[in-house]
Amino acid sequence: MKQGGFGRIAAAAFVGAAFAVTGVAAASAEDAAAGDAANGRRLYLADGCFECHGRAGQGGAMNYATPALAQLEMPVESFVAFLRAAPRDMPAFSANVLSDHDAADILAFLRSLPGRRDAKDFPLLNQ
Amino acid sequence: MSKRSQSPGVGRRNFLKGATFAGAAVLATPVAANTPLLDSSTERAKASVPGPKLASAETMPPTADPVSQTTSGGDFMVDVLKTLDIDYLAMNCASSFRGLHEAVLNHGGNTKPEILTCPHEEIAVHMAQGYAKIEGKPMAMICHGVVGLQHATMAMYNAWCDRVPVIVMGGNIIEANKRGPGAEWVHSAIDPAVIVRDFVKWDDQPTSLQHFAESAVRAYKVATTPPMAPVMLSLDAELQENPILDAETLHIPKLSMVVPPQGDTAALAELSRMLVAAENPVILCDRVARTPAGMARLVELAETLQCAVVDNAGRMNFPSRHPLNHSFRRSVIAQADVILAMEVNELWGSLNAFSDRIVRSSVPSYRKTAKIVTLGSRELYMKSNYQDLGRYQEVDISIAGDAEASLPTLIEQVKRLTDEGRKTAFEARGKKLAAAKLASIEQAKSDATIGWDSSPITTARLCAELYGQIKDEDWSLVGSSIKLSWPHRLWNFNKPYQWNGGSGGAGVGYNLPASLGAALANKRHGRLTVSIGGDGDFMFVPSTLWTAAHHRIPMLYIVHNNRAYHQEYMYLQAMATRHGRGITNTEVGTTIKDPNVDYATVARGFGVYGEGPIADPADLGPALKRAIAMVKSGHPALVDVVMDPR
Repeated sequence: MKQGGFGRIAAAAFVGAAFAVTGVAAASAEDAAAGDAANGRRLYLADGCFECHGRAGQGGAMNYATPALAQLEMPVESFVAFLRAAPRDMPAFSANVLSDHDAADILAFLRSLPGRRDAKDFPLLNQ
Repeated sequence: MSKRSQSPGVGRRNFLKGATFAGAAVLATPVAANTPLLDSSTERAKASVPGPKLASAETMPPTADPVSQTTSGGDFMVDVLKTLDIDYLAMNCASSFRGLHEAVLNHGGNTKPEILTCPHEEIAVHMAQGYAKIEGKPMAMICHGVVGLQHATMAMYNAWCDRVPVIVMGGNIIEANKRGPGAEWVHSAIDPAVIVRDFVKWDDQPTSLQHFAESAVRAYKVATTPPMAPVMLSLDAELQENPILDAETLHIPKLSMVVPPQGDTAALAELSRMLVAAENPVILCDRVARTPAGMARLVELAETLQCAVVDNAGRMNFPSRHPLNHSFRRSVIAQADVILAMEVNELWGSLNAFSDRIVRSSVPSYRKTAKIVTLGSRELYMKSNYQDLGRYQEVDISIAGDAEASLPTLIEQVKRLTDEGRKTAFEARGKKLAAAKLASIEQAKSDATIGWDSSPITTARLCAELYGQIKDEDWSLVGSSIKLSWPHRLWNFNKPYQWNGGSGGAGVGYNLPASLGAALANKRHGRLTVSIGGDGDFMFVPSTLWTAAHHRIPMLYIVHNNRAYHQEYMYLQAMATRHGRGITNTEVGTTIKDPNVDYATVARGFGVYGEGPIADPADLGPALKRAIAMVKSGHPALVDVVMDPR
């Protein structure tokens, strides 16, 4: 385990932007229907995605902040392409370890997550 | 400033007059060496006449064997420590310093220093590290000079990397003919400090009490002069234990603290011209605030310039909610035309985006045209072996000097150069930065809502719940061994003692004992100490909790129980993924499961109040409330929170 401050925390913007650039178009309804969210959840945990992005897709930190993925809006093709050539410290998942089909399931799971809510509804976040 | 003047009653010469042996010592007369045993192969002479040695041995008084004494070198050593105003001596008891141990208790009255009983030398040093960063002065620790120092080394390295003074002492028996068989031999060394010399600023092995006095005062002075660092004194056991033979000549030298050096005035003037003329100057800081004045000075400089501050948080440098705090908007670095880096150890790492790939690469995160100026004491003292210096960063001006000490001059020069036109520009810049800061705070709140009701509990939820319980107290967060950004994103840090940085050397096992040392410092100020630490860190040094209970040190300790050595878990995942195999196998060797550790039960076993494991976020608030009530009654408390990784 490494320790440290938040020296590279805002680099999340870099990776977040990479997701955004890849996902030029909004996800379609067909994309959402294509994946099995339950299998996606299993893979998200088994394949270690949660380690950096959190079980709720809330994001986290490795050597810099890692982006939130809950309700990720990205076409499945772009999502798969991103996984195959992930930037910086994120490992690239080859088809040997993660099929296109399984990747689509993971995306379906991410889209199924509740995601962010209105912070004004949380007194503990307004103190 | 003379420390001696702060310790009335301990003069340089009012010390232990008339040191004597008692008893048989007064009869001592030099005696010839025993007759050597005859070689067994030598034929014994028949009816030999006793020779002069044998005759002497049989007719003279017995060998001198005093049984008590009225003074000890350890007493003098204690008096020296008292003049240095050292409050605590952390230790795990060991025979090689039994003389000093006894003297601290019975000559010194176990006060200044007071002994802190620690179950491991690593705990003792880390306590001293955490203590110094809150109290602003060093604590001492003592250990076996061989095996104890070996235990202490990693913590000393953390303190070295963190620029924290710790007075380390180790017992030794220098003279071979004085060592008893067995442990005293394996616990002695010719040069005990050799294993730590790469990460202490200075060390010595005094061979007389006067030598000790001078070296102890020098050690304190060296350790507390920026850049601060641990120092090491090896103490001969006989010197500690035996009577003082030269009391009339002993003298405790006066301590005069070094005035930290300011940066060169002309260089600061050039820097101030650059800052005033810049369109988007950015201040990057790490270990700037070494006294409570540091934060106020940095705020004054930033407000004068109305420029962004990016805080690497090695100390409590800058208020977290200040409109100019843009630590979580590092894009300001990319926009900067002048970057002032103050007391930043690894500047390259702050100014470049590094990619941990098969082919490692990096790109600068600053403009090519940006002017970079460093101000700090780091380069005034360097060592070679351990690479805590980071990659070489090209800069335009490198000013050697203590940043906190240099700030008043820099502020004055900036103010003098700021005309009405620049002032108007600064105000406009400040308004934009303030708006961006407000947006970043709102973004943090929004981000914190994701997974709010999840179990395991999110780190954001934990931090929001914890802040809700302590925000109206005089709180001090003294540890976070995990990359928890949430406190600094969500909490209002605005007092110099509300944060004290990280481990320095990223050595695991820092957070719990260093937090306890900081809590000890906070105790006398009546502050509520809280700390969030990883479960992996806890597992290295769990017995720290016994010290907390034994010495009644109040502290709320949150175990961020993600059941893994999580950074390594992520690295292993990256390796398996890179190699295209076994990506579901990475729990092996990286996780702390099967069985899960029940940290609350562990705490109770050490006499500490324990709550948990808490896995339902709805249970968290009440558990924290109960634990804080325990802390406010003067006791340590632990809450085990089953949390998401980061």
